[in-house]
Amino acid sequence: MPDFSLTPEQESLRDLARKFARTEMAPHAQECDRTPRFPEEIYRKAYDLGLMNLNVPTEFGGSGLSLLDQCLIVEELAYGCAGMTTSIIANCLALEPIILGGSSEQKQRFLTPFCQEYHLASFALTEPTGGSDAGAIRTRARKDGDGYVLDGEKCFITNAPHASLYAVFATTDPAAKHRGISAFVVPRSAPGVTPGKDEEKMGHRASSTSTVRFDGVRVPAADRLGAEGEGFSVAMRTLDQTRTPIGALATGIAQAALDHAARYALKRQSFGKPIAEHQAIQIKLANMAQSVHAARLLTWHAAWTIDRGAKGSLESSIAKCFASDASFQVADEAIQTFGGYGYMKEYPVEKLLRDAKLTQIYEGANEIQRTVIARELLRGYA
Amino acid sequence: MEIVVCIKPVPEAETRLRPTADGTRADPDGVKFVLAGYDESSVEQALLLKEAVPASKVHAVAVGPAPRSEEVLRAAIALGCDSATWVDATADTADDGLSAARALAPALAGLPHDLVLAGKQAGDRESGVFAAALGELLGVPDFGFVTDLRWEPAAARFTFRRATEGGVERWESPVPCVIALQQAWNDPRTAKLPMILKSRKAPIAKVAAAPAAGPSIPVKFELPPPRSGAKMIEYKTPEEAAQTLVRLLKEEAKVFP
Ligand SMILES: Cc1cc2nc3c(=O)[nH]c(=O)nc-3n(C[C@H](O)[C@H](O)[C@H](O)COP(=O)(O)OP(=O)(O)OC[C@H]3O[C@@H](n4cnc5c(N)ncnc54)[C@H](O)[C@@H]3O)c2cc1C
Repeated sequence: MPDFSLTPEQESLRDLARKFARTEMAPHAQECDRTPRFPEEIYRKAYDLGLMNLNVPTEFGGSGLSLLDQCLIVEELAYGCAGMTTSIIANCLALEPIILGGSSEQKQRFLTPFCQEYHLASFALTEPTGGSDAGAIRTRARKDGDGYVLDGEKCFITNAPHASLYAVFATTDPAAKHRGISAFVVPRSAPGVTPGKDEEKMGHRASSTSTVRFDGVRVPAADRLGAEGEGFSVAMRTLDQTRTPIGALATGIAQAALDHAARYALKRQSFGKPIAEHQAIQIKLANMAQSVHAARLLTWHAAWTIDRGAKGSLESSIAKCFASDASFQVADEAIQTFGGYGYMKEYPVEKLLRDAKLTQIYEGANEIQRTVIARELLRGYA
Repeated sequence: MEIVVCIKPVPEAETRLRPTADGTRADPDGVKFVLAGYDESSVEQALLLKEAVPASKVHAVAVGPAPRSEEVLRAAIALGCDSATWVDATADTADDGLSAARALAPALAGLPHDLVLAGKQAGDRESGVFAAALGELLGVPDFGFVTDLRWEPAAARFTFRRATEGGVERWESPVPCVIALQQAWNDPRTAKLPMILKSRKAPIAKVAAAPAAGPSIPVKFELPPPRSGAKMIEYKTPEEAAQTLVRLLKEEAKVFP
């Protein structure tokens, strides 16, 4: 039987993230959402405390945390502000292709600076013409002497305007579809790299999202991760690792929504008693609590599965898909519990719904997660 | 400089304590014990002195039962303390300031110390006895309610202030001495993640407490009575509300005649 108790070490990591989320992130969440503002000073503090680059192995100066440890931290951070959390964990997403696909020389060269100084990196896969169908990307990598020339545009790239490094996926042979894709590490300083302006978003407004253009960008072959044509596999294996923490992020939003709703329900009076004494509200809170609990346990289970060395595609897809749907529903019910106040920006719950929405879309839309789940599932019946 | 900082595991701030089945004390079951409040300030002070005085070492000590004592010592190491000693004692011994000082004093004899720091009182019992008792048992000067602690290398003395009712006193003390700090005149740092990981592997020296000379025995623990409800004043005009309020303050609350 698995053991659901956390080790004292895991509790201390969670306490650190909780304290940071509640004292450094949450007090600025509303302002950063409303303005919107990219609070780089908070990201620097997160870096200083070791709350960034959680997945970088210790040999390159990182803390090399297990996926479960990462999930514990990410859930707490998201409780404070989901948008900031997206920007804080974007480095994990951007560095994972290097961790999985890089040679030891590349890891040393690219990962070490991130553990010595504050830098941001971006994962650049999605393009204006498509995100879900990653095999159909159009950004071209043309062979040129001992290297490549990159041309194309990426969109919806987290932290792109602030990143010093991009993990870029481009095709050397569009006809070969996913087998033509390679992964490259491209510094922001390379001539021809142009991030666009910040997108105006529905939620996660403390995070920054933009296009990045690559116009005749020269990339030495030494900066290609893995062999030519291995890029699609690197991207998919990266997402297998980072999908589970998105489940944790969604769980953090849901827990915040439940906490707000339960506290409000005990205070708000209607028909002579606290609304928490009306059975309709009790049922709402009970359902919300079930969703939060299930989301957390599915996330822990997926992380545990992957930490044991399994691929965990099925488990991580289930966790991400369930937790993000649960997060959206729980935030919705929290607004309903608040009644009219829930709809007001002065109260915290409408932001949670806007933030929860993204978790159903990014790192593989939930339709795609369900496709994966069904495929893995049906394999067992065929 | 050798600095010893004494810390006591106390229930986390949001904890809702409940009496044990026999009603004699707060039930520790399920309670999370942490390094908090006054002790965070004294650990911070120890680390500030360490940073200011070259070749200094900070040694954290705690008296009490496992695992809570070990947890706060690891928290202290994660913050930057160099080493730690756990004096294994019962919760009752650790809870009572005089008994804790008696349990700790013999252990301190084996630890080099120019300065022994503590919070002005424990975050749970708040009796403020521990540091004074420890100073007496060690036979060294002890001071309470201290702020602005500094080391003067030329004079080989500590200088500090004490806020009293009448004004602020300035003091000097030779080494070694015991100092209990006023809370929160510094801004305690947060442990960094790599240090937390490192602290989990750090060795913690364990010593058995000297036989307790009879700690105080808790008799009863009760929760404070629930607050009675507020009284809402019914009114039609603000004048009426004010008149009713004044009447109630006079007749019922008897705040003024
Ligand atoms: C705020 C934000 C941050 C992001 N950050 C990054 C980042 O850092 N890096 C990065 O590379 N990308 C990032 N993305 C992109 C994100 O991963 C994509 O938006 C997502 O993968 C969906 O792709 P798409 O938007 O092109 O939608 P499309 O692929 O066009 O899909 C549109 C709709 O059709 C559905 N659909 C598509 N194909 C199928 C199918 N086969 N079966 C059933 N339904 C299908 C989708 O689920 C979706 O509902 C970010 C997006 C946002 C909004």
